[in-house]
Amino acid sequence: MDPVSTLPKLLGLAWLLPLVSFTLIVFFGPRMGKSGSKAGYLATGAILASCVLSLFALFFVWLPGYGLPAPAHHQAAAESSHEAPAGTAHDAAPSVKAITGDWYTLGKFGSLRITIGYYIDSLTMLMFSMVTVIATCIHFYAYGYMHYELHEVVDHEVKLPNGQHLHRRGRFHRFFQYMSLFCFSMLGIVIAGNIAMVFVFWELVGICSYFLIGFYIERKSACVAANKAFIVNRVGDFGMIIGMMIFFGTLGTFAFGDIDTDGDGKPEPGLFSLVRSEENHHALATPDGMIKAAAAAEIGRGVVPTAEQIQAWREDISPGSPGRYAYWLLITAGLGIFCGCVGKSAQFPLHVWLPDAMEGPTPVSALVHSATMVAAGVYLVGRFYPMFAPEVLLVIAVIGCITLFVAATIAITATDIKRVLAYSTVSQLGYMMLALGVGGWAAGMFHLITHAFFKSLLFMCSGSVIHACHTNEMTKMGGLRKKMPWTAYTMLAGCLAIMGAGIPFSIGLSGHYSKDAILAQALSFKAGNPFYGWLFYVAAGGAAITAFYMFRLWFMTFAGTPRDHHIYEHAHESPKVMYYPLVMLSVFAVGIGWSVERFGIQPLLEQTRPAGILAMSNGVLMPDLVYPSEHASHLDEFHGPSTYVATATALCGFLLAVVFYGLRILDPNEVRNQFQLIYRFLIHKWYFDELYDAIFVQPLLFVARRVADFDKKVIDVFIDKLALVTRMVAGLDDLIDRYFVDGFVNSAAAGIYGVGTWFHGAETGKLRQYVMFIVIGTVALFVLISFYLNSTLAGF
Amino acid sequence: MESTYVTLLSLIVFLPTAGALALAFFPREKTDAMKTFSLVVTAVVFLLTVIMALPGQGGGWQFDAAVSEMQKVFSLDWIPSFNIRYFMGLDGISFPLLLLTTFITMLSMGASWPIQKHVKAYCILFLLLETGMLGVFLALDFFLFYVFWEVMLLPMYFLIGVWGGPRREYAAIKFFLYTLLGSVFMLIAILMLYFASDLKLLSDKQLVVANVVSSYVDQAAQAEQIAALRAQPQPIHTFNILALQQLGQHTDAFDTIILGKSLQWWAFLLLLLGFVIKVPSVPLHTWLPDAHVEAPTPISMILAGVLLKMGGYGIIRICYPICPHAGYDLAYFVCLLGVVSMVYGGFAALAQKDFKRLVAYSSVSHMGYVVLGIGVWSAVAGNQFNADAWKMGMNGAMFQMIAHGISSSGMFFMVGVIYDRVHHRNLDQFGGLFAKMPVYSGLAIGIFFAGLGLPGLCGFIGEVFVTLSVWNYSHALAVISASVVIITAAYILWTLQRVYLGPEYRGPHGDHLHPMTIRELAIVAPLLVFAIVFGVYPQAVFHYMTPSVDRTVDDLAAWTRMEATSSPSTADDAQEREASIAQQ
Repeated sequence: MDPVSTLPKLLGLAWLLPLVSFTLIVFFGPRMGKSGSKAGYLATGAILASCVLSLFALFFVWLPGYGLPAPAHHQAAAESSHEAPAGTAHDAAPSVKAITGDWYTLGKFGSLRITIGYYIDSLTMLMFSMVTVIATCIHFYAYGYMHYELHEVVDHEVKLPNGQHLHRRGRFHRFFQYMSLFCFSMLGIVIAGNIAMVFVFWELVGICSYFLIGFYIERKSACVAANKAFIVNRVGDFGMIIGMMIFFGTLGTFAFGDIDTDGDGKPEPGLFSLVRSEENHHALATPDGMIKAAAAAEIGRGVVPTAEQIQAWREDISPGSPGRYAYWLLITAGLGIFCGCVGKSAQFPLHVWLPDAMEGPTPVSALVHSATMVAAGVYLVGRFYPMFAPEVLLVIAVIGCITLFVAATIAITATDIKRVLAYSTVSQLGYMMLALGVGGWAAGMFHLITHAFFKSLLFMCSGSVIHACHTNEMTKMGGLRKKMPWTAYTMLAGCLAIMGAGIPFSIGLSGHYSKDAILAQALSFKAGNPFYGWLFYVAAGGAAITAFYMFRLWFMTFAGTPRDHHIYEHAHESPKVMYYPLVMLSVFAVGIGWSVERFGIQPLLEQTRPAGILAMSNGVLMPDLVYPSEHASHLDEFHGPSTYVATATALCGFLLAVVFYGLRILDPNEVRNQFQLIYRFLIHKWYFDELYDAIFVQPLLFVARRVADFDKKVIDVFIDKLALVTRMVAGLDDLIDRYFVDGFVNSAAAGIYGVGTWFHGAETGKLRQYVMFIVIGTVALFVLISFYLNSTLAGF
Repeated sequence: MESTYVTLLSLIVFLPTAGALALAFFPREKTDAMKTFSLVVTAVVFLLTVIMALPGQGGGWQFDAAVSEMQKVFSLDWIPSFNIRYFMGLDGISFPLLLLTTFITMLSMGASWPIQKHVKAYCILFLLLETGMLGVFLALDFFLFYVFWEVMLLPMYFLIGVWGGPRREYAAIKFFLYTLLGSVFMLIAILMLYFASDLKLLSDKQLVVANVVSSYVDQAAQAEQIAALRAQPQPIHTFNILALQQLGQHTDAFDTIILGKSLQWWAFLLLLLGFVIKVPSVPLHTWLPDAHVEAPTPISMILAGVLLKMGGYGIIRICYPICPHAGYDLAYFVCLLGVVSMVYGGFAALAQKDFKRLVAYSSVSHMGYVVLGIGVWSAVAGNQFNADAWKMGMNGAMFQMIAHGISSSGMFFMVGVIYDRVHHRNLDQFGGLFAKMPVYSGLAIGIFFAGLGLPGLCGFIGEVFVTLSVWNYSHALAVISASVVIITAAYILWTLQRVYLGPEYRGPHGDHLHPMTIRELAIVAPLLVFAIVFGVYPQAVFHYMTPSVDRTVDDLAAWTRMEATSSPSTADDAQEREASIAQQ
């Protein structure tokens, strides 16, 4: 089968199936089986079909069409690009080109188009498979987890004023309705062929997340968390819109790839080729559109922008020159898009919404808030990677690094099992951002995929625990491994995977490979930019914290003796429909990082690596900023030490957890008492919520109230005074009319009479008169005017 | 041909008036019959416009979406002594608004069933109001336009003042004063333009384009008419809007200097004031919240759905094409009005405690997009006169008018539905409606999300297209306008939370929260359907409007280019302007 024509159809179908399921459930949900139980079948069936289609597309269309990825000659490739001097280094375009095109146009204005289209490369294929596989597992799991929604629910967290708990009807079908919409929206982001389409589905996943976080609409905390999630994301979107504006305003297109839009057989360049043109060997250069926009003042003076002139402008980056301004546009636009990713992927400083989002049911946390939606920000950075100037990448790296550290520290003290995982998610997303920011495109994307599997596994295990204990507090758990062995040992696999357990240079769990790749890249970046060496050290330290809090979680939950016997007595293993998906995911969590011969995630990613991003590059405004080729990180000088560091730090963290929580040799309470100040700082999550409330929320509300007051107390008072004056004048007119112009009771008087009555308000008694007046007036107006105005008046 | 159009357009405009006259003969106590009759009349008018929109209708009734010029034009003598004509026509700018008007009017007549007081007077005024609104969108003679504008004003005043809430008289007078003020400005501008105009300045071709000379007769007859025109000794003043546009864009008829500024500068300002009162833009907006809060639900729907659009329509149809030079000079002012309204309206909405007032302020904010989108004059020298971004802005603004017409009348109706049941609008005394009225809440959330600008619903397209188009005009305004998405999300989500979510209803009359009736469902369902259809398939609207909007922009861009290249002083102005914008 020809991939170019088949893949858009296959993936398009896989994309639309959940939408069909959503639509059907919206209309017929409550009538699907007993209390909507069949809605679960429908949604699960739809995503399963999508999954089959995606895997079929990967294994039977993509791989046969493009062959297995070329064997990686990392060492050789790295050597060559490492030694090539900066500026001349270039790499050929990938052998496999992305399949891109438009399905449908939303709007077309002159040469500007906004469309719904597709961009399919191996990253798309991987993401499609990852999302649908995980979503399918979670749908099955949710069928068991959400079972209580099939009959009347007593919500123990909602207390009514009469002291009773809330009784409500089950909302089983509604849960699956939102899940289907979510899957559709998420796949829409992945398949999107342009940044505007990404934005459309970006908002849609946001609204699904809103609905799912606020699934228990009766709980105030859930509603507040849902609002917080959406509004904080909108703050990110604000930046994203600015980025989109700049790209669209200066380059006139949103498309990623080259698409023939006018049908002349020659593809119009997309964003990627505009910034990294083939003539420029795919190296990043300020695109012509931005130069022209920056030189608007020159052009307005009549300078005709020839190619030479544009090149001259581009090369001159002295302060105040158009070239510098244009490069700033490129940076600002890139930062704008990244701002959207910061919101969606819960990066510092917009990370505050994700932990609160845990108010949603656990399957939602597993799917939306760990594996897929929050990873969409990272995905977009990866997708948009060719557009980021080195300076932007540096910002991404710093933000990622701060995030991974802040979140990891908060995870140490959290006692809510889902919140620990939430902060762990934020931290891991920080790792991905860091990887992308230090030039590790493949490393970041690789970690995105492996993390999706082990983190959704971890969340589902925590859900299984919550299902059994009816509490999120780890301080009430303990010893549960005897009661629920499947959950305990699949979760152990997840913990080992996230910690990156493995034997150096031989074999390990999936996280072992991806975290190694990130650390190696950070180390390689450190070699070129010693000033940013701290990025590597923080990342390495973070690995230790990760291992510590994950095993703290596992030991507190499953090991030792039960802390609350009542809960322990009632705990039980979850039904098969819930733990089969756990087993399935734990297999992936263990093995998804492996490359067998030439088949694996990394080689697949390399197959369609965006053109030009492998080359060594330098900053323009920061010439000292050097981005090494990603292949350089495979050199022994970086790969070796980083592997040792990763293993050692993870082991440290693990041992600490064993000492404190596994064997309970040391008492964590003592440490807590010793470091009261730090503990309080961490347990209050670095006081971010309080800070934002004080510097954003309250001032905004204050301004809002002042604005509303201004209307009432300034504008309206002015208007009322004006009305009073008018009324007095009208009264005066009336007097004059009555006493001085008594004889002239004609059309003018009628007018005054009208004004007078208007000001006295419409008294209902005279209503019929008014209406008759208006009816006659209106109908006769046209005629009257023609009669009364005679031609002698004309001729002005 | 022409006679068909006379019949068609006159029928559309005056059928409601005929209905109003017929209502006068209904017995007083047959209230349901009167309501039904009025509904039938509005439905027939709606069907007439739908027939025009259908593809493949023969007999000259079909609106040809591919044509960017005026179509269905006719021009008859009305008051020859002042050269005032009964002159109407349609293009892609007015036709979607015409459809919106007939559609919203029909739905709000359906929403008028709870009206019990003076039903006959209500129905008569309602139908007269429809005539006024339709006439405004169809009139091409400035005087006729003004007459319809006033005709629309009076019924509205009474509909608020008699059938409104407790403070109805205050609200009605406020509405009347504001709008009257606008009308006076408009009248002054109309007369200024009228007395400055001279048809003889136009070329033969322009006379035909402006329909001063009938385009339905053969060339010989045209030549004869033109000759007769040119033979007249004194200047020939005109109210013909198309002719005024030609004069504004191709001659210097309106460039006389008055008080240091050109005549068209003053005319533009006066007209703009008249129109932005209607839009309404901050700071001329305070009539709107009061009028909405006091008006009965159906009148709120018309007010938000149609009346506000006349401001935007006037700016697109009249201000810019007739006074391009003034428009160019004041473009930043216009955009600023839009942006300030967007931000100010959003903030004010955030602070409201009254459900209806909140929706009213959201209208202020959303209509700001319209003013902004129209104003982004980015076809300037620095952009090599590329008008694409401006086209996008103006198309977005037009789309936003349609989208806002649908979403805001839907929002007002949804407020009305709940008000009919519990008789209060205090946002702090709702909650838990989702459990009590699931269908109503689901539909309401859909409509409110359309207002929030969620992709897949109509609000998104207008807002995003306008916002994206601003960058090429002004960076600062673009950034501010982008930030409005945060405020909008905040006030809409906060409202939804307070009204629909939560464990239980907290206000009075909780036992009256019965589910939606079929009638209510039949009103809101079409609105939500269109909100979705236009959000998913915006081409359904752009198909009709883009050719004409693009033409308007192209004409203005051509004027800018001509102006910049012909007169050096203006070109210098343009450069300075460019430089200042670029620096931002």
